[in-house]
Amino acid sequence: MNSYLLAFVQILLVLLLAPLFEGVMRKLVALVHSRIGPPLHQPYLDLLKLLGKEELVTAPHPLFRYSAVLGLAAILTTAVLIPIGMLPPLESAGDILVFIYLITLAAVMVVISGVTSDSPYAAIGASREVMMLLTVEPVILIALISMAVKAGSTRFGEIMAWQAAHAPTFSTLIAGLTLFIAIVAQMARLPFDIVEADQEIMEGPFVEQSGPKLALFKWMIYAKQFIFAAVFISVFIPWPVVQPAILNLLLTLLKMAVLLLIVGVVHVVNPRLRIDQAVRFFLALVVIEIAGLALALVGS
Amino acid sequence: MNAFFSAQGCYLAGALLALLVGGKRKAVGWVAFGAAAFGTLFILTAVLGVFREGPVSSGLPILQVPGLGAALIYQIDYLSALFLAIIAVVSLLVTLYAQRFMQIAHYRAGSLRYFYSILLFFFAAVLNVVVVADLFFFFVFWEIMTLTSYLMVIFRQEERVRLRAGYKYFLITHIATIFLFIGGILLYRLSGSFSFSFLKMAMAEMQQSQPGLLHFVLGCFFLGFATKAGILPMGDWLPDAYPAAPAPASAAFAGSMTKLGIYGLVRVFCGLLPLSSHTQIWGLIIALFGAGSILVGTMTALVQEDAKRLLSFHVIGQMGYMFLAIGTGLYFLRTQPVIGMIGLGAGIFHLINHVSYKSCLFFNAGAVFYKTGTRDINKVGGLARVLPVTAATAIIASLSIAGIPPFSGFASKWLIYQAALRGGFSVPVFIILGLIAIFISAVTLASFVKFFGALFFGKYEDNGSKARVGDVPAAMRLPQIILAALCILFGLLPQLPLGWVYRSIAYLFPPGSMPAAASIYGGGLLNGLSLNVAGSTAAWNALLLTVIFGLCALLAWGLFRAGGARVRSVETWYCGEEMSDRDTRYRAHGFYLPFKQIFRLRIGRYERPGIYPTITWPKRLFRKEPALNRAIDLDRWLYQPLARSAVRLMRRFSATHSGVPHLYLLWLAAGAALALIILYSFSGGK
Repeated sequence: MNSYLLAFVQILLVLLLAPLFEGVMRKLVALVHSRIGPPLHQPYLDLLKLLGKEELVTAPHPLFRYSAVLGLAAILTTAVLIPIGMLPPLESAGDILVFIYLITLAAVMVVISGVTSDSPYAAIGASREVMMLLTVEPVILIALISMAVKAGSTRFGEIMAWQAAHAPTFSTLIAGLTLFIAIVAQMARLPFDIVEADQEIMEGPFVEQSGPKLALFKWMIYAKQFIFAAVFISVFIPWPVVQPAILNLLLTLLKMAVLLLIVGVVHVVNPRLRIDQAVRFFLALVVIEIAGLALALVGS
Repeated sequence: MNAFFSAQGCYLAGALLALLVGGKRKAVGWVAFGAAAFGTLFILTAVLGVFREGPVSSGLPILQVPGLGAALIYQIDYLSALFLAIIAVVSLLVTLYAQRFMQIAHYRAGSLRYFYSILLFFFAAVLNVVVVADLFFFFVFWEIMTLTSYLMVIFRQEERVRLRAGYKYFLITHIATIFLFIGGILLYRLSGSFSFSFLKMAMAEMQQSQPGLLHFVLGCFFLGFATKAGILPMGDWLPDAYPAAPAPASAAFAGSMTKLGIYGLVRVFCGLLPLSSHTQIWGLIIALFGAGSILVGTMTALVQEDAKRLLSFHVIGQMGYMFLAIGTGLYFLRTQPVIGMIGLGAGIFHLINHVSYKSCLFFNAGAVFYKTGTRDINKVGGLARVLPVTAATAIIASLSIAGIPPFSGFASKWLIYQAALRGGFSVPVFIILGLIAIFISAVTLASFVKFFGALFFGKYEDNGSKARVGDVPAAMRLPQIILAALCILFGLLPQLPLGWVYRSIAYLFPPGSMPAAASIYGGGLLNGLSLNVAGSTAAWNALLLTVIFGLCALLAWGLFRAGGARVRSVETWYCGEEMSDRDTRYRAHGFYLPFKQIFRLRIGRYERPGIYPTITWPKRLFRKEPALNRAIDLDRWLYQPLARSAVRLMRRFSATHSGVPHLYLLWLAAGAALALIILYSFSGGK
């Protein structure tokens, strides 16, 4: 029962803290732009406002209306499988593969909301989302699998424990770096902000989303950002492990904020790639990662 | 056993009755459905009996060919029972679906009595293939199956390209059968009998005395079964033959015939071949071929724009997954039996899932054809408005085949990944194969997003076709609903089918030699899967995570409603421009263009989208690089000339049958003289 309680706490943690991290990032981007920027709690205000706004429906299909609900639910479900500074609450329910495919389920919901909305811009966005998924998903998976090879297990807890007990090696460094780049893409940050690309296709799959639907999709993106940051920190930078679990959690949150700041810097100094450039880029990353995986298999 | 014979009787009686009922198009459909329904009932009783009381056998041979040492013996063990159940359910759904589907105008001129009797005859043959315990009669039924399926491929086809598909199918599968024959005969030389139990002993003996020959025999069996399963490059016939057949027949092929390749493979490589280094070598080969098929088949499916051709290439890809799983299983059975059993089980489990979602998808494509008269996914769109049930089942089946949790495809693919990755920890090549499988799973998703996105969403375009109002008839909706429900059920409760699968494979090995089911998958129907490999566990608890997903969805829905936002229906926004529905539809062709441009075949100046040769080539290409094109297009320089020369030979032969009695007499006299001369020379002039 205790683990279920912990799972519940972790879901709430993701749901409630994710917008704060977005606020931190926005502030940083503003600072680089030499602006004052919005207050840290601005994302909460945005979400609250959107939740009360009128919902415009362009297509009658029920999946169009509820894909945002299902997408957010999928991301929140992954919250029970991932470590945030401590062991995953429901580790016995799923491993890294289950985690990746639940994230994919959320992406599928974005795609479905795009194709059901009847807008050609959304369809282009959906097509791009799928292409990004095609190329980014293997990158994330191979990075995590290299770690799994090292730890001899596909469970997050065991991978984390292994990494905490060992010094970094070549293969873990390669895996960590490539995973970082993949995370930038998963967070829809420049240079990989190709799916939404508001100057080109006006938020792509979200062009016809409005009111509470848009709020949930935005929340989903914040939560995804939070979850990937947590996974990256817990799997690749678990040191130093401090003893009271609550302290470790706070430390992890701090490290996550730093990671997101780095992502923010990457976001601010880069132009957007075209989709074909991004696809080629990630395919090259896959090749590098396979070399890293080979290193992991021979034990370095 | 009696239940099985009664079922046989049902199918055959149905086939005869269908011929008798004849021209009444509705009645003949119901006759076929009735026969299949009773047959299915009997088969399911037989299957339940087997799973409850253990394998049964017909005991004494029913038919004997004394000169050959062949005897018709039926034996239903757990593996046979599993396949019997799959085939019976498919036959039931296919005949139910065909009842309305075959009434469309497209098949008006075709004789339905032949179609149904061939269909039932086909099912009867397929059912026989999985229960005979004698290689000779296995071949006999295998051939009946191939011939009847050929007749369905060419049913009502006037177009040359379709007839060509039939030719190609006929030729390739018969070459495959020849390989099976060669393998069988080589074994027979040693055993003196075609019975499976004797062949098993012969294999064990051959392994000691002639290991090289055994490899050759296994290679022949592999080629034969892989061809039927559609594994590339031997499965070249599949993407041409499937779209040519009517939708119910395609579903029947996908649901039963191609799967028999897997049945044969498991029967020979697990049931007959003793565990040895041979198993390992062939495990690796099977896995490599599987991974190749996954890659080429699915990447090719991505560029297809004909709904059924797209699905056919996915059949190849999905069969690749099964081959990969079974190959991995075979490789590790000897060294790490847990991984071995996970792999084998995952292969058969994936087969069950594939039957459910792929038949469903063929039914979906058929429903679209029924409604719009086209299979080109560029030409239709927005059909979710007219076909809500078809759209919903298509989405479920698509997500299932793409391996999205919590649907059934994810459970089996997850097991395949686990087997490949865990095996890969010790034998790295399997990690690469596993990564191919994982990457292609995403490609499958992409392909099916295109499939259902383009068919069912976007602006509905009434292109003046004979599209009637309302969804397809209930007889066509029901099979789709049942199959989609199976996708969800097996996804949420993977332990249920895995229990059957485990029993069916474990029985092939000496009792007690394989780890128990509970120690592999973890116990409890509701507890989800918890694999235990080499001290570390990996889990997928579908039910628990789905419940959590449901609760999270409730939470999200609460947030969604919390603001009390009003709902207003508006027009789609085109940046202020006025556009017609036709102009704004994002067509299937446009999906993933940049990605498709990266993955294209490029050798020198020669270039084409995708990496697979097709039989409808633009003329221009031939002039550019004739040599290369001709080399790839087997149709051109191998199958067609072969078929043509065979026909020419037959013509020459038939020319002797001129119908003139005098000529026949002359032939008789000449033949008698020849026989006399031969006899005379043999007897040495005495």
